[in-house]
Amino acid sequence: MTAALAETGDRRTAPPAGTPVTPQAPRRRRRTRAFDEVPRWQIYLPLGLYLLFTLVPFYWMLLFALRPAGSTSLVPWPVTFEHFEKVWNERSFGVFFQNSMLVGLATLVTTTVIALSGGYALARFDFRVKNAFMLALLCSQFIPGALMLVPLFEIFRNLRMINSLESVIIAETVFQLPLSIILISGFIKNVPVSLEEAAWVDGCSRLRAFRAVVLPLLRPGLIAVGSFAFVHSWNHFLFALMFLSEQDKQTIPVGLNTLIGADSVDLGALAAGGVIAAVPVVIVFAFIQKWLITGFSAGAVKG
Amino acid sequence: MRATIHRNRRTTAAVALAAVFALTATACGDDGSAGGGDEGSGKGEITFWDNNGGVRTPVWEKIIAEFEKKNPDIDVTYVPIPITDVQSKYDTAIAGGGLPDVGGVGTAYLANMVAQDALEPVGDRIEGSALKGKLSEQMAESVRSAGGRGDEMYSVPTSANQGTLWYRTDLFEAAGAEPPTSWDRFYEAAEKLTDAKKNEFGFTIRGGAGSVAQALDMMYAQSGIDTFWKGDRTTVNDPKNVEALEKYVGLYKKATPEADLNNDFAKMVAQFTQGDIGMLQHNLGSYTDHVKAFGKDKVEGIPLPPSAEGSPRTIVSNPVDGLGLFKSSKNKTAAWKFIEFAASHEMNSLWNQEAGSIPANTEASGDAWISEVEPVKAAMESLNDPGTKVVQLPYYLPDWNNISKADSEPDFQKLLLGEISAKQFADKLAGALNDAQAEWKQQQ
Repeated sequence: MTAALAETGDRRTAPPAGTPVTPQAPRRRRRTRAFDEVPRWQIYLPLGLYLLFTLVPFYWMLLFALRPAGSTSLVPWPVTFEHFEKVWNERSFGVFFQNSMLVGLATLVTTTVIALSGGYALARFDFRVKNAFMLALLCSQFIPGALMLVPLFEIFRNLRMINSLESVIIAETVFQLPLSIILISGFIKNVPVSLEEAAWVDGCSRLRAFRAVVLPLLRPGLIAVGSFAFVHSWNHFLFALMFLSEQDKQTIPVGLNTLIGADSVDLGALAAGGVIAAVPVVIVFAFIQKWLITGFSAGAVKG
Repeated sequence: MRATIHRNRRTTAAVALAAVFALTATACGDDGSAGGGDEGSGKGEITFWDNNGGVRTPVWEKIIAEFEKKNPDIDVTYVPIPITDVQSKYDTAIAGGGLPDVGGVGTAYLANMVAQDALEPVGDRIEGSALKGKLSEQMAESVRSAGGRGDEMYSVPTSANQGTLWYRTDLFEAAGAEPPTSWDRFYEAAEKLTDAKKNEFGFTIRGGAGSVAQALDMMYAQSGIDTFWKGDRTTVNDPKNVEALEKYVGLYKKATPEADLNNDFAKMVAQFTQGDIGMLQHNLGSYTDHVKAFGKDKVEGIPLPPSAEGSPRTIVSNPVDGLGLFKSSKNKTAAWKFIEFAASHEMNSLWNQEAGSIPANTEASGDAWISEVEPVKAAMESLNDPGTKVVQLPYYLPDWNNISKADSEPDFQKLLLGEISAKQFADKLAGALNDAQAEWKQQQ
């Protein structure tokens, strides 16, 4: 039986100790050979072209940001930081950056915490309107933010929250939650209930078992959801534009738009602003890509 | 017992839900938009929304500082709004409340705001103020026409722009081409300066956002037709305009880069300032970009040529920028003081000098900086020339923006690609405009 399962590649049952796991090895070798048989250029040429296609806009952005105003050189030489100084100091990008960071981090925390509770409920409990609730969550994804703008504006105005970063954080969190809850519930479903049950038997409460057993296993999922929430709120323009008025409350996307005038555009300043806006997102993805891919695949298989 | 607890919980939940709905519903009571305003004490705080925020922030900060120095009992809160989204910001505030006391308002969306009853008429206030008789009559007429309520004005004009033909004097000299002071010279130079293999082009055309407004500039200037309406029918598809349009779009790919198909103004100006392109048609607003890229001596800007030598010049009314007083303001006296100050000779001149556009205050027209900025001087002279015919575009039509942008710009790209003819394009545009005009007249 074990041998049969092993031959079919079923890994649900581990083979007894000492049993050689021979059937796996030839398959891996075959895959490697097939990979080796492909000429390298057939792999690296498309990848190189794709990379070029992806990097060209970044090249232009860096070129405009780093070369002096009026230069038409295709190389940013001599390098100048005048555009960065201009947007950071004169155009208040230092303040916008702080505000965006605050909104992004607060949205990340609130979205992740609420999505964890909602996702856990959906994954672990059966209740009467569960399917309808899931459907409602999915359907809410079809409602564009612009459609809710006026009602949200009125609500925040009546709560005297217009022109406060909290209004943007709440609106961002609300719009991120449906997808985050669905994703998190998928991740939680992947964690066997038996692990929690074992913790309960050992005397843990449900909350303690969740914190000690489930939460550590959700790290890839939490990183995926958290990074999504951060990047989305970092880039989101509409709520910040509508709910915030004073200049010292604005965020980076709105700041970028103010660099485009009715009839003229300072391309150097716009590019420098674009670099400032892109840096945190690039750093976030550089650090978390390993967990992000694990998180997405985990959520995708059994979510 | 358990059933009772469940029932109680359900009741509590229902009451809580109803309370939430009720609170939300009551929150919809005060929209704060139309009416409800007050003349106020003329002191205290007012809010000003700049409709070209960011780009014009430094000059507005100067003006506000001057105003607060002269009016120490008034504080102005400055709010910069990106120009690309100013209309949606106003629309949201009209629907949801929270409009400012004063706001920058362009004629392109003035009708929409007047129709929503958000703006206070300012004709009487102008008559009773130091601005009486000092505002450009051409611009005042554009504001009246754009408001769509007869002779009433709903904003105080502060500046205007004008379609300008920018050309690289160094490239013209090198190619031995004559300055494009007539349409024949323009088309000759466009061909002469083009060498596609070397990536050199005579002209860059606007094929993306804003393409139709620019095409109208070119059509009417070439055809010399001096009115937008003949009775209730538009002149857009007049055979002379169709011929001019055909000639204009014929430049695409022959004397322009192929990528122009998606040019909005930013891309078009970037093409001009970054590449070897001889001519560009854009308004005065891009003057500083050209000077920054080439220096004053290598670029020149002239008004669009007259339809034929010796004929009067025909120009299409470009959007006029102005300051609007909002009906919902609780301190209209202070708000008006600010408008009056910002539109005064000194401040209006300062603002337009920074923006490189034509001041609305006629006292500013003699200021030294205007004679130093040749394109602005030429545009102003052509605008104030009694022989110049101004074709007033129907900004007052509520559907004007939809018709001239969302509906027609994709068709303009088809026209550039040769998928439809100039006549088909003009006829479709004319049909939509005629219907909109008829509908508007019915509603009056």
